[in-house]
Amino acid sequence: MNGMHGIIFSYEKSNGLRELTEHRIHGSVPFGGSYRMVDFILSDMVNAGIRDVGVIMHGQCQSMMDHLRSGKSWDLSRSFGGLTLLPVFAYNSARGNGRFRGKLEALDVVKDYLRHIRQDYVVLADSDVALNIDLQEVLQAHIATGADITAVCAPSTEDGLYLNMDGSGRVREVVEQQREGFRCLQIFLLRTDLLLSLVERFVSRNEYSFQEYVIQGLTEELHIHGYIFHGFAAHITDVAGYYESSMQLLDPAVRQDLFSPRRPIYAKENDAASTYMDPAGGCLHSLVDDGCDIQGSVRSSIISRGVRVEKGAVVDGCILFKDTVVAKDAVLRHVIADKNVKVGVGVHLEGTEKYPMVLAKGSEV
Amino acid sequence: MKKECIAMLLAGGQGSRLYVLTGDMAKPAVPFGGKFRIIDFPLSNCTNSGIDTVGVLTQYRPLELNSYIGNGQPWELDRMNGGVHILPPYQSNSGAGWYKGTANAICQNIGFVDLYDPEYVAVLSGDHIYKMDYSRMLRRHKETGADCTISVMEVPWHEAGRFGIMNVDGEDVITEFEEKPKQPKSNLASMGIYIFTWKKLRAYLLRDEADPNSSNDFGKNVIPAMLAAGEKMVAYRFEGYWKDVGTLESLWDANMDMLSPGSGLNLLDKSWPIYSRAPSCPPAFFGGSADVGNSAVAKGCDIRGEVKNTVLSYNAAVEEGAVVSYSVLMPGAVVKQGAKVEYAILGENSVVGAGAHVGGGPETAADPEKWGVAVLGPGTRVCDGETVPAGTMLDKTHGQEAEA
Repeated sequence: MNGMHGIIFSYEKSNGLRELTEHRIHGSVPFGGSYRMVDFILSDMVNAGIRDVGVIMHGQCQSMMDHLRSGKSWDLSRSFGGLTLLPVFAYNSARGNGRFRGKLEALDVVKDYLRHIRQDYVVLADSDVALNIDLQEVLQAHIATGADITAVCAPSTEDGLYLNMDGSGRVREVVEQQREGFRCLQIFLLRTDLLLSLVERFVSRNEYSFQEYVIQGLTEELHIHGYIFHGFAAHITDVAGYYESSMQLLDPAVRQDLFSPRRPIYAKENDAASTYMDPAGGCLHSLVDDGCDIQGSVRSSIISRGVRVEKGAVVDGCILFKDTVVAKDAVLRHVIADKNVKVGVGVHLEGTEKYPMVLAKGSEV
Repeated sequence: MKKECIAMLLAGGQGSRLYVLTGDMAKPAVPFGGKFRIIDFPLSNCTNSGIDTVGVLTQYRPLELNSYIGNGQPWELDRMNGGVHILPPYQSNSGAGWYKGTANAICQNIGFVDLYDPEYVAVLSGDHIYKMDYSRMLRRHKETGADCTISVMEVPWHEAGRFGIMNVDGEDVITEFEEKPKQPKSNLASMGIYIFTWKKLRAYLLRDEADPNSSNDFGKNVIPAMLAAGEKMVAYRFEGYWKDVGTLESLWDANMDMLSPGSGLNLLDKSWPIYSRAPSCPPAFFGGSADVGNSAVAKGCDIRGEVKNTVLSYNAAVEEGAVVSYSVLMPGAVVKQGAKVEYAILGENSVVGAGAHVGGGPETAADPEKWGVAVLGPGTRVCDGETVPAGTMLDKTHGQEAEA
């Protein structure tokens, strides 16, 4: 019996992704043409032999539930265990139906679920990081170091939570906005009984932030160990970061790492046929999913399934979600078009790399 | 569990005219159109037509087909009641026997059909590319009160002599069946798609089985016998794209049809999806030096060279400086730097070495009658700089003598 159980958090934390999260939560934001953000950590879990996964979601979760369904695409559709969707519809705190104040609160809400976990270890992860990580190796390291909690981190210079470790790798100090060292990727591994006791201990004191009270607060009391991940990791928190990380996928080395054939990333099956490249069309330095009809010119872009780019249209440095239509002679530069966007004949739209223009789901320009 | 109509899919044929492509797999398992295998078409047609119980009769090299079909999930045929079932030949206390013919294959599985006690049974072939709503054909079968309904399509008169031709009366009731007639009286060709009233078919199968001189084949024996006995046989006219992909030329043609809008084979049409079991792979990557026109490109492809009028299946790769035209690359096929591939079918995971040249256009042939596409079987490796002329077929043993 595999020793790990997966718990994925997917709920609104900030509005950094603007229009992209207007109709969906972080986990179901499309990424890399064929995938949703949650596919990465979910596939990582499945590839590590994890067969029971709970997904805690709150907020606009219809798109997420639609995506995950029974978990068939990840081989998690089981009559006993498998994928469990934990949408928090009925949750009403004293504050009304607001955001979770932290992971501990989210876990407390599904306490009954936690009590029925059969495995000794739990992996906690957010759904806004795209990475291909061997979680079995993390478990081996966790056991070998004798840690209470293993926190996955990666070398980084971006905003976020940084883990400062001593020579042995034990986390001694956790600070924000350090912008150098090892940034926490919000993936934690710990024993199930320890998790339960931590939830009970802090929630009873109205303390809800796992980050603040456990990771920052218990560095002395618990052995928190840093596991350094050296592969590609895209932590998506705002539109500019989303755009930048997406464009990194055009680098073959990054794709090699993220889409390693040894540990494939699984997406929901689609029944689209191949993409059709028209004689009049051209496509350079781009990723194009199935079911597209490319008659215009596409450069340095990421194109999802079912997109149509008509004759004379130019798509440059764009990310087009499913079923976008770019009509004749339209020109798009640095644009992120959400699902079902229709760009009319001859329309010119231009964003910048640092501030790409976002066209909301279903909008017609 | 009673079902109104179930389907029996004949998938046991070797497909010997596909030569190296069917060395290790049955014809229905051969990849088609970038993301599919031939059997996806009849299986998806069943699902889209509301038939949820399908028996797949296998015999020749079933491994690939068995693992492909699996539990039937991609076609939504993983059911508690019904679903897709692989039916290989088996041993019994009266002896063991291979499927002797198409009718014998169904006859040996009367027990399977009886499990569902159906009113009607559709008998389908596993080697045709077409989109067809069997529920319309079934409706007509019921309306006309036929014992057997045979799907037909009009073919050009000058080609009629190559088909099984149905001669019909004013109400499309079949009066005569002629196999490859020299002087065709009609141009309605049988598509090898039948709906039978099960009680009738069951009786004829048993009668046919008892006849030691019969070759136990639908077209040769059962249909003529039913016709001779005066059973009501009705032709159902089908209009749309249909192609038997039993030969290398027709397989290549059908793939090319995907690229010509007038052919009627439009796989981007979402109203009648064709389902398939394809591995998870990232979107296709077009490099900075890619030049792709009039081609179908599936997921996982990596294109850095020139690709024209070609079907690229998932995970195919065309490296820098390579030129590919009028070809079909099956899943995982690789064309290395500077190689040239034209008028060719490259089997799964085959590799064309750097600077090699595979195939040639019809204009290059000394004798146009003898020209053909070049074909590499699955796993074949063409060495760097090697030339593989038009019409050549190589399999994975190619080059092994040289290395040994």
